[in-house]
Amino acid sequence: MSTGSPENPGSTGSTEVQPRAVEDRPLGQIALVDLLDRLLGTGVVLAGDVVISLAGVDLVQVRLHALIATVREEMKKP
Amino acid sequence: MAERGRYLYAVTRGLTGDQLAGAQGLADAPLTTVEHDGLSAVVSDVDLEEYGEEGLRRNLERLEWLEEVARRHDEVVHAVAEHGPVAPLRLATICLGDEGVRQRLVEWHDALAEVLDRVDGRREWSVKAFAARAPGTRSEPTAEVGATGGGAAYLRRKKEQTLSRAQGEEAALQVAEQVHARLSGHAAASRRLAPQDPRLTGHTGTMTLNSAFLVDEDREPAFLDEVQGLRAEHPDAGLELAGPWPPYSFAVLDQA
Repeated sequence: MSTGSPENPGSTGSTEVQPRAVEDRPLGQIALVDLLDRLLGTGVVLAGDVVISLAGVDLVQVRLHALIATVREEMKKP
Repeated sequence: MAERGRYLYAVTRGLTGDQLAGAQGLADAPLTTVEHDGLSAVVSDVDLEEYGEEGLRRNLERLEWLEEVARRHDEVVHAVAEHGPVAPLRLATICLGDEGVRQRLVEWHDALAEVLDRVDGRREWSVKAFAARAPGTRSEPTAEVGATGGGAAYLRRKKEQTLSRAQGEEAALQVAEQVHARLSGHAAASRRLAPQDPRLTGHTGTMTLNSAFLVDEDREPAFLDEVQGLRAEHPDAGLELAGPWPPYSFAVLDQA
């Protein structure tokens, strides 16, 4: 069943468009900096009494530390 | 001791734990689901020594820990996305038990359902643009014609450099605007994230655009064509395309 999308007679499967989308990394593999941007900056936040979550941790601090640590790692590499 | 918590990875629709048999949670714990009224939260057991408030504070400072958790979280989200629409949760959302998870599903039911509707059949793509290296750093004509005071000439040259650098930046920002606007035309939603630190991107140029686009799967060919077109038009913008990813940037609840 189609999801009510516009006609698409070629019915291009998503797999067919993937190869040219890839530039430097395997398909869908996300760079750590991009992943942290998203996992720390977006994503569903479910606040509530019984939840421990990063809403209660200073995210800016976390990101800063992660960033600095990443840079240090990079610099260690030959 | 060793109190256990339930780590939440994502919310989806009508999924059972055994459908995720191929994937494992943190510390290779088995994934299970907590269900309520059509929604399924994907969870696994974690040690509160490590994932309690205090443990988190400590561990989040360690990049290896953060990376391991982020990667595993991402793997689980990908596995869930194979089965249907996915609303990834923010890293390190932990409930004290299944009842707590269920309460969250009850409380946020409508907002979660709305997010799942919004991202269904769509994936996230990232496009970044960079300002070319500042024009002022290029080698400049050294032979000053006319001996009309080196000082004045120097100042004039300096001024021109500053001007051309400013113009270069202005142009790069305009290109970024244009790229974002044109690609948004092919997307169901778009967001501009904060530009990333040059030390992390490996680019000498400044990141002028860090955009996320939520694209219908059947509009991906047109979206990708537009990226190619923009690349051809703006070879200096260093456009970087990445994806497709689960809709991380678009799984944001409209707070009631």
